[in-house]
Amino acid sequence: MLLIQPAPAANAASGLAALLREVAPINPETSVEDAAEKMLEPKHAGLLCLPVVLGNRAVGVVSRQHFNSIFLQRFGRDLWGRRPVADLMNRQPLLVDIDQSLEAAAQFVSTRMGSPISEDFVLMRDGKYLGMGLVLDILAAMQSRVSQGARKLEDAYRQLKVSQSALVQNEKMASLGQMVAGVAHEINTPLGYVRNNVEMLQDMFGQMRDVLAQYSILGSMLADENSFDEADLTRQLQQASAAGRDLQQGGVLEDAPTLFEDTLFGVDSIKELAINLRDFSRLDGARLADVNVNDCLDQTLTITNNVLKGRVEIIKRYGDVPLVNASPSQFNQVLLNILTNAVQAIDHDKGKLLLKTEFDEQWVHVSIVDNGKGIAAENLKKIFDPFFTTKPVGQGTGLGLSISYQIVRAHGGNIQVGSVPGRGTRFLISLPRTSSNRATGLEAAA
Amino acid sequence: MNAPEARPSLLLIDDEERILRSLAVLFRSQYRLHITTDPQAALTTIAREPVHVVVSDQRMPLMSGADLLREVRRVSPNTMRILLTGYSELDAIVASVNEGEIFRYVNKPWMAAELRSTVEQASRIAIQMFAASPPAVDGRTPELASPDNAAILVIDDDPAVFSAVKDIVGYTQRVHHAQSLEQAFMLLEREPIGVIISELMVGRESLTAALKMLKSQHPEVVTIVMTPFRDTAVLVGLINQGQVYRILPKPLRAGPLGMNIASALRQHRLLSTSPVLRQRHVVEQISAPEELSVANRMMSFLGRLRGRATVRS
Repeated sequence: MLLIQPAPAANAASGLAALLREVAPINPETSVEDAAEKMLEPKHAGLLCLPVVLGNRAVGVVSRQHFNSIFLQRFGRDLWGRRPVADLMNRQPLLVDIDQSLEAAAQFVSTRMGSPISEDFVLMRDGKYLGMGLVLDILAAMQSRVSQGARKLEDAYRQLKVSQSALVQNEKMASLGQMVAGVAHEINTPLGYVRNNVEMLQDMFGQMRDVLAQYSILGSMLADENSFDEADLTRQLQQASAAGRDLQQGGVLEDAPTLFEDTLFGVDSIKELAINLRDFSRLDGARLADVNVNDCLDQTLTITNNVLKGRVEIIKRYGDVPLVNASPSQFNQVLLNILTNAVQAIDHDKGKLLLKTEFDEQWVHVSIVDNGKGIAAENLKKIFDPFFTTKPVGQGTGLGLSISYQIVRAHGGNIQVGSVPGRGTRFLISLPRTSSNRATGLEAAA
Repeated sequence: MNAPEARPSLLLIDDEERILRSLAVLFRSQYRLHITTDPQAALTTIAREPVHVVVSDQRMPLMSGADLLREVRRVSPNTMRILLTGYSELDAIVASVNEGEIFRYVNKPWMAAELRSTVEQASRIAIQMFAASPPAVDGRTPELASPDNAAILVIDDDPAVFSAVKDIVGYTQRVHHAQSLEQAFMLLEREPIGVIISELMVGRESLTAALKMLKSQHPEVVTIVMTPFRDTAVLVGLINQGQVYRILPKPLRAGPLGMNIASALRQHRLLSTSPVLRQRHVVEQISAPEELSVANRMMSFLGRLRGRATVRS
């Protein structure tokens, strides 16, 4: 995978070297007049200043601005023309070692250059004059380098996005695998007894048909007075009752009502599982609206009334909460799930359920606290995993909280849970007040 | 109708009561039934009285089926153990073979007639086992600990496995190496093989059918499968149709492999001397068509093998 490669040091040096312009320096003793002539030479047109070098050391620069200030004065030329340029020059020029990095040089130059920009910088190596560098050049070089960096960053960001979605995909596949295992088990268990019951009932049905056939022969013999033959009739009676005995001895007949009931129960369990699975995978079709979570709580309480009535004391502490943008049906599903769990967790007759809503600058919080048996620490961390359940087989699919979690996350919110075994459990659902995260949240869950 | 004491006893355990009800109706005319959802109660019953067959669910809240059957084996080794499970988890399969030494691994939903005949077969074997009461099924009887001439056959195209096995058994036992199915056939014909340590693939050929076939013809040969292969359906097939003795993972670990080879050799000796015990390792018929062709290829070879076995005994 390609991330940002650090530029090799040699590259940085050549970066600055690329900016080098060879400019013949002038001597400090050169007259201002001569220096000005030089400045006017076409080859120096791009330069803001000329270097003044003594021996091989840059001792100053003299700029166009210097010349302007002299030649625009009355008698400036007469007063200054003959004097050495050393009297005029800036003795503290911008000295840049050519071997340092472009970034360091650019930073140095940009913090030291005056405004308006009147001077370029001197390039040197080990204190020896090499030539001049243009401020404009170094800024342009920096700009291209920054945009190159930005491009690399952009690439790196794209790469990260790709690997992130791969990770998400892996996660999905992993939970899919887990889900398939759970579904297989949850379906095969009812399917096991359903199939066995149906097979046994089918055998029994065959026997019943025999019995019926024997007795109907017996019936028609009795009805037909002409062919009345006592021996035949006795034989037929014996056959019929033998068939009846077989049916009885098969042992299925007396249990048939229970077997039918269990079979229907099993088929319903599978149906319920299919519905849960559909809800689990389909979180899109829901329409968003501005809803008051207090209303949602009340609606859900109405639905669960039959479970709650007489068993649990409900304590409402609703705040005057702002609206949240949510799918009411989905959010109700979350509340229903948590409320049902809470009620089921209460195993004594002094059950209490505290429903509290409050808000801060960003969030609306719904907290649901029960004084039930609580959740053991090792189960608490698995509580949102698909198919994790502590309920007996047939009573819980283990999908409820996992779906709830998905729904709340899709709304850009969060569910937290805390529990003390023997004391109770608290669920805290937080939904964003604004709708800013909504779109991305739904995409992520889809 | 049979008198109650004459009927074999069958213990059914599952955490879903509807499964138990359904199975009870299926079996109650032929068996003395013990029905429970509680593993501890099941073990208490098995310790108290002879139970011929146990049919256990795998996923139960208090104890897994594989763990329960391991305990059943410890408490009452003559009891035949069947695992009835809604979902094949690899760990459960491996544990039920290596620790529980189960007779059959049955998936839910099951076919009533098949399950009935499997349980019937198991109970017939168990009745003989209880009657014969063979010495220590787990093989700890001292007089059987002396080495005999049964050789070990390693079927694996990796020579490292062969030399590892040689290092483990030293000079006490002969070790042969086959790198293909044909080589394996030849060695089986020539040498008195007691224990096979086999991969599931050599070259590009699957060995599962051959291993199953061999067990069906020669129940006294003990098979250890050592493979990185993790397909649950194949492993279940090896239990039901191959009565594989151990399933070990790869890369091999010398310690566990050594212990398992030793117990496989003991097992082979037991099986060679006890026809009743051999029954215990009776296998299901192969049903998959692709495996039948390999099975047919083996037939002539097995005919000769059978001939030789008859001469020897």
